[in-house]
Amino acid sequence: MNLWMVLFNKELVEMSRNFKWIWVPIVFILLAVKEPLTLYYMPQIIDALGGLPEGAVIELPVPSASEVLIAILGQFNTLGVLIIVLTSMGIIAAERKSGVAAIILVKPVSYASFVTAKWAAAMLLLWVSYFIGYVASWYYVVILFEAVPFIDFFQSFLLNGIWLSFVLTMTIFFNSFNKSPGVVGFITIAIIILLSVLSSSFSHWLQWSPSLLPTYTNTFLLSNEIPDNVLSAIIVAIIGMIVLLVCSISIFRRKELA
Amino acid sequence: MSAVVTVSGLRKSFQNEDVIKGLEFDLTKGKCIALLGANGAGKTTTLQMLSGLLRPSAGSIAFDGVQKGEDFRKLIGYLPQHPVFYEWMSGREFLEYTGMLAGLSKKESKERAEELLEMVGISNAKNRRIGKYSGGMKQRLGIAQAIIHRPKLVMLDEPVSALDPFGRREVLELMERMKKETTILFSTHILNDAEEVCDDILFLHKGEIVESGSMKELRDKYQQSKIDLVFRGESDQYIEKLSSLVEIQSISVHENKISFFVHNIDDAKHAFLREITDRNWPLLKFEISKTSLEDVFMKVVEK
Ligand SMILES: Nc1ncnc2c1ncn2[C@@H]1O[C@H](COP(=O)(O)OP(=O)(O)O)[C@@H](O)[C@H]1O
Ligand SMILES: [Mg+2]
Repeated sequence: MNLWMVLFNKELVEMSRNFKWIWVPIVFILLAVKEPLTLYYMPQIIDALGGLPEGAVIELPVPSASEVLIAILGQFNTLGVLIIVLTSMGIIAAERKSGVAAIILVKPVSYASFVTAKWAAAMLLLWVSYFIGYVASWYYVVILFEAVPFIDFFQSFLLNGIWLSFVLTMTIFFNSFNKSPGVVGFITIAIIILLSVLSSSFSHWLQWSPSLLPTYTNTFLLSNEIPDNVLSAIIVAIIGMIVLLVCSISIFRRKELA
Repeated sequence: MSAVVTVSGLRKSFQNEDVIKGLEFDLTKGKCIALLGANGAGKTTTLQMLSGLLRPSAGSIAFDGVQKGEDFRKLIGYLPQHPVFYEWMSGREFLEYTGMLAGLSKKESKERAEELLEMVGISNAKNRRIGKYSGGMKQRLGIAQAIIHRPKLVMLDEPVSALDPFGRREVLELMERMKKETTILFSTHILNDAEEVCDDILFLHKGEIVESGSMKELRDKYQQSKIDLVFRGESDQYIEKLSSLVEIQSISVHENKISFFVHNIDDAKHAFLREITDRNWPLLKFEISKTSLEDVFMKVVEK
């Protein structure tokens, strides 16, 4: 086994020993299933909660499949993002803080392998959980609402997934120069909020911002047309991830580990 | 005899406070060297610089056979003062993992892990989670991971300080065995531990090496014979007469006890005793002893 695989494999085993392989996918499934179920059973829920005042008539339009998928992605992009940040905010920081890094990195381990193996393992966990969750939501949407073409499902999955990957990569980046997982988590969340606010307020200037990818995904689901700036946002996101990773490695290499 | 590592002008400061103030030394291949010093002397900082965990503020560390910019880490093994492991791994898994990281193949790593678990005496707990290990077991696991890839230089930061006397004994014996295979640099604040396993000493005090050399050299250099005398009444009155009898290096008086430091203990003993009996002085106590390295160590540390 080459060294990178040894490091990568250790991450996967660790994630299974602390049950991340179980609970993270379950959280994504719950987030995914919650929306279609509540939207579908909304009339019954309102009834069960005491109903509406006598005489009140409320028209609850049946949402379209696209609207439900958008609601689900909304869950992924808020609570899902929080889970991603929480599960990866200590991936390097915690090892430095505890001191185990002092034993591991005195061995002839390449810093690039060390960082990228962790990144790759976290990406795998993210994409597997996200995929399972989104498939579950697709299933419920098709059963309870209407059929969604596979291609729509798949394109929206990829498009929104790029944003989630970007978030994960930012978390890894902040790990490279911060010893405290809590601080890493805080900074990442703050930056995500800042990015989202900025790019929605100045969307005509920041059309290439990766944080607009969720918005573009929604537009795509509603109109079935690929919005104009999707490509630039994707390219910026991918280049951004590469730059963040390269910077993480070089910052991490320069850090004193004791 | 060649040096495994040569250190020159090594300095480290934290927030403008000089902690290590220009160390010069080299470590001879095959020796066991003790880095001796009180708490706060800078032992950990020195070892962390040697292992690459801290960057020196100035100076150089040159490993034998390693060009500048080349990775020296395959040559060294390091045990931190407070080693931390992946608690979720078993001892065997951790050793196999570090073995592979150090460049052993999967098969070599497995074999070497088994061998070392046996050698350090934790093979009965090899499949238990490290989180459940005792302090002593972790210390042994730490030693095992430090030597798994047969490094040329093994650095152990206070490997026995946190152990009970029994564990301490065992780890010292372990080091005795390791000595046959590699160069060892280990830090301690207990002279006794250093004397027990080591050939050479680097004596660190407030970030400087105040004394260094082989154990034997230092013992000869600092070992002086001493005669303590106590008389009834004022002992002081006899000093002048006694010190004229033989060559005396120094004299110290503590309450009523006079200590004569001398070169030739036999001459001094005879001369003193003859004089005292001839003159019938009221002698209460006559004691011959030797100053030890411990005294030297204490003297420097108290300064
Ligand atoms: N990261 C640090 N920041 C500031 N001071 C430090 C740091 N690490 C060590 N020191 C100081 O350096 C001195 C030497 O510490 P250390 O090398 O741990 O000594 P020893 O291991 O001999 O007990 C101490 O006075 C300690 O307070
Ligand atoms: Mg120390």
